[in-house]
Amino acid sequence: MYAQAFFVAVFGLAAIGFGVVVFRTSSMVRSALALLFSQTAVGCMFLAMQTEFLGVLQIMMMATEMSIMAIFMVMFMMDPGGLGGMDMSHQKRFSIGAGVSAAVIAIAVALLSDWGPAADQVPDAAAQTRALGMELLGRSMLIFETAGITILTAMIAATAVAIPVQNPASKNDTEASE
Amino acid sequence: MTVAVVLMALFGSAWLLAVIEGWTTTGRLSLAAPVLSGLAHLGRESIVPRSPDRVFFEAAPVLLLVVAVLGAAVLPLAPDLIIADLGTGALFINAALAYVLVALIMAGWGPDGAYAMIGGWRFLGQLIAYSMLIVMPITAVAMRAESLVNTAIVGSQAGLWNIVYQPLGFVLFFIAAMALAFRAPFDLPIAAGELAGGVDAEYTGVRLAVLRLARLTLVVTLASATTVFFLGGWHGPLLPPWAWSLIKTLAVAMSMLLAGRYLPRIREADLMRWCWTLGIPLALVNIIIVGLLVLVVP
Repeated sequence: MYAQAFFVAVFGLAAIGFGVVVFRTSSMVRSALALLFSQTAVGCMFLAMQTEFLGVLQIMMMATEMSIMAIFMVMFMMDPGGLGGMDMSHQKRFSIGAGVSAAVIAIAVALLSDWGPAADQVPDAAAQTRALGMELLGRSMLIFETAGITILTAMIAATAVAIPVQNPASKNDTEASE
Repeated sequence: MTVAVVLMALFGSAWLLAVIEGWTTTGRLSLAAPVLSGLAHLGRESIVPRSPDRVFFEAAPVLLLVVAVLGAAVLPLAPDLIIADLGTGALFINAALAYVLVALIMAGWGPDGAYAMIGGWRFLGQLIAYSMLIVMPITAVAMRAESLVNTAIVGSQAGLWNIVYQPLGFVLFFIAAMALAFRAPFDLPIAAGELAGGVDAEYTGVRLAVLRLARLTLVVTLASATTVFFLGGWHGPLLPPWAWSLIKTLAVAMSMLLAGRYLPRIREADLMRWCWTLGIPLALVNIIIVGLLVLVVP
């Protein structure tokens, strides 16, 4: 129990530490990968709390998501390597205020909530995975399917926007301009 | 004890692969060549480029080696010869191998070199192509076993191996595994002759030795995963279970090397197109077929 609490605390602090690095660096790749390691630490917290499926899933998903975010940040930021000494921060006072108040609210919720008694026994990993599957394909199916369709629609829409218009008129324009 | 045996099997297989790779490229069979070459790397100067991202540059080869070993840790060599028989083993191996991408992006970005960086980002494109073809065949394998536990997945193939039960899934997984291990013809991040070594380009000395060892270990891990998911794992007559696992793993790894020697390097755009327009529909068909078989055949 104490070992578990210790590891949850260590990974929690690592998550916060890497989260701070995200904003302390000017390199976009460092920033993105620091966020990845922050999220990986959250995944490790899940593992320390014996929710194996969620932990492994978190660790897996974040690797690709944050890497893809990194290349977009490199593509769209003016100083992706952070070597040009460009200051990319803005609205500092507002961000500090928002960050501090969010942290205070989160800590207050954590301390003031009645979390109920801690479970003595948790089901093993395979049983948890099964229970999660039953939940996703039962009571929560509508929510997850709706979310899935929404994301799919957004992806198709984004792709459609990214493809150049292919009608005869614009084709002629392109050829003329070439 | 189990940890030591599995690590010995892993690195021993990597060494054997290096011997055979050397044999096929130079024509000379030398058991000591990989070791001597590794020692030579240790003796050489390990140059650090002019303005590197030092953390990424140093961490990338080690991370690549660590993920290859972590992946192997959840794959059984025999019923009781496995480092960690996780309840989510089939998912965990995906999670571990996702960090191959992170390691290559770090290796590409770290040295502050153009060829390395192109190589690193190329692998991101490669992941977009192959990742679904890793995950979806494993889904079908887990469907048949009704479990994500890797020993249970091998157990489900006692009567009939998955290569026969779901041949389509095997073909897709095998190709995607080669792309994940960035072996020829999918060696786009390295691309000798085109990117001057890509992510390898700026590494020398001991760091290059770690990187090469990591690449070979990754091939063995993926061959072992192919064995566990599709070739019946430790099942086989006469020989002890661990021997069958090793024989199958080495056979898969060698077939990967062999395929790479006779195929030209694929273009990134073609890889992406074929994976998405042909590979993913086929993987979905495979899932449907396996679903029907699971429901219909007792």
